[in-house]
Amino acid sequence: MAFLDNSGDIILDAVLTDTGRMRLARGDGSFKIAKYALGDDEIDYESYNAGHLSGSAYYDLEILQTPIFEAFTNNTATMKTKLVSLSNNNLLYLPIMKINDRSVLSSPGAAAGFMASGSHVCFVNETTGKWLYGDEIDGATTTGTWNIDANAEGYIDGSAMTDIGNRIRVDQGLDTSEVSPSLVLDPELKETQYIVEIDSRFAKIYDKLGSANVSANPSFIDDDSIATYYFTQGQGGFVGESERGPKTDNPANNPGKETILGPRGTRLTFGLLASTDLVSSNYLFTTLGTTLVREDVTWYFIDSTIRVTGVTTGYRLDIPIRFLKVNK
Amino acid sequence: MANTFKTFLNSDIATTRTLLHEAIPITGTIVSGTYTSDANIKTFSHGMFEAVYDYPYLSSSANHIFDVTAGYSAKSSLSDSANTQNSKKINIYNQHAQVLYGYDSTGSIQQFDTDGNINAGGTKMKECFFVNFSRLLTKDEVKKGSFRFDLCTSGSDYQDADARSGIKTFGDYGANNEYKVNSPAGEYALLYTASADPQGEVMGHIYYQAGIAVITASFFSGSFGDPDSDDTGGLNTVENRLTGSTITELANGFRYCIDNIEFNNTTELNSTIYFCRANTQDYNYSSNPTYLSASKIRVKNDNPKAEPVSYITTVGLYSADNELLAVAKLSEPLKKSPSNELTLRVRLDY
Repeated sequence: MAFLDNSGDIILDAVLTDTGRMRLARGDGSFKIAKYALGDDEIDYESYNAGHLSGSAYYDLEILQTPIFEAFTNNTATMKTKLVSLSNNNLLYLPIMKINDRSVLSSPGAAAGFMASGSHVCFVNETTGKWLYGDEIDGATTTGTWNIDANAEGYIDGSAMTDIGNRIRVDQGLDTSEVSPSLVLDPELKETQYIVEIDSRFAKIYDKLGSANVSANPSFIDDDSIATYYFTQGQGGFVGESERGPKTDNPANNPGKETILGPRGTRLTFGLLASTDLVSSNYLFTTLGTTLVREDVTWYFIDSTIRVTGVTTGYRLDIPIRFLKVNK
Repeated sequence: MANTFKTFLNSDIATTRTLLHEAIPITGTIVSGTYTSDANIKTFSHGMFEAVYDYPYLSSSANHIFDVTAGYSAKSSLSDSANTQNSKKINIYNQHAQVLYGYDSTGSIQQFDTDGNINAGGTKMKECFFVNFSRLLTKDEVKKGSFRFDLCTSGSDYQDADARSGIKTFGDYGANNEYKVNSPAGEYALLYTASADPQGEVMGHIYYQAGIAVITASFFSGSFGDPDSDDTGGLNTVENRLTGSTITELANGFRYCIDNIEFNNTTELNSTIYFCRANTQDYNYSSNPTYLSASKIRVKNDNPKAEPVSYITTVGLYSADNELLAVAKLSEPLKKSPSNELTLRVRLDY
């Protein structure tokens, strides 16, 4: 008689994250585990070799031999990619999210001037904006030949909330040319809610397309000052429907300037308002950032990341962002 | 509807309580002899006790293992205002007695009763040595029935520093079933010199939760004293030392007589076990960016009818507002597909 297979029941020891410890110490009942998710942070699915000559038992051999890290206690450094439950087992495509680079309003800039490759630059105050453009300040013309206005590609005006100008836009859908963009994305795969995480020391998020001049309220700010926002379709102008149809450079055929090749779901759009700390003080720039010199003018900058996660599919996108301030 | 979270039901959460035990051996050479100039012994200007470390205490690697002190009751025949540190010795005795033995009906501090039967009267331990074990060693409590103390009845002759003799072992024999509960500091048991009936003499008490051993000074029958102090006039009995030596010297003499101490500690572990169930339709896809190539699922190999497959490496426990509160890791990736179901038991200890 063979032994029973007990591989279906596994005991794991959990460690509290820093946020878990903080909530436990707070003693206000906010430490309550209510749900769970499974992750596969270490797995590189490119190792899956469906053409292995030795047969299907060898397809995932490399994946199964992947060594696993010990648990990180930083809540933002683990569970970065979650497993997803879908009722349909016959899906061949899954949606992704990507930065919209088709519209000058939302496209990150190329590496030049004050910009790193693929990054947006958020200038934090009006003075910095004037120095970028070479505008007058108190009757005197600022030096510099950059001539970058507030709506230049990749630049975001973080000095005030406004319903015009550049923004960050994330598009969602099947990014493949093998499925027609005229088709409707399976409702099960369509994101209707997004989570945005941003370092609250640097900026707030506001509604660019809906009620401008109203900043969003974070759901919570964790022990590392990371603010978490939830944006739901139908509440404000953050989440909107993407346009169906082909993706071309012709605005007539691609009125929404869509960037997803195949069927599209929703898009997330928001603006950034620099924090008071960045505007009123150089402390965070000198502590966390660095400087660059252009034509004898010193500029402070901090490179950070905005993380966007789709609540439905768990897909996650890290958006690089640079906060810029002239040292004047 | 696609989702990444599953909510725990009441039946998915269980609580358990586990007692963990560790064996703690303390050899006599650590306590005296291993380190020159007693570099692992910390004394204090107040002279009320001395602290024993497992390594020279100035090193950050040193761990505190126990404190040693001595005292007598004000009602002891040895108590005399002319004695060295008389009030401090009384203070030490009273401090331990009131915490470990409490007060009588008149509010007076009880003396340590040899057989633990306070109401019946009987002999009292009026002169005692106290060994206060560090919380690092005892954890939540000393395990009942595990405490053994090998101590020399005679030692510490200044002229012949190696002259230790008469090692006796005493312990809390039978305390698994017989222990006292009439202490305000929790449970305690008598320290006997023999395990079988008759269990020999009572040499003191071990207080399990407090982690304190109280040893009667009458244990010592031969010479006694600080091996580094001059033996003046042959007055080297424990009685003479109790009256004429400082507490530090008494503690030095006591340390010198220690041959071995052993016990098991106990850690009470309260755990919550979360049953994370991945049913057949759960968690078969991944949001890992490498899962897709141009939005196409790699593991399906262009075949929509092929089973989706994912590999679990991590379990995250979340609050209702999706904050990651705890995380557990698997030792190796675990394959999940519609053709299998898994239950991961995640234990969170408090």
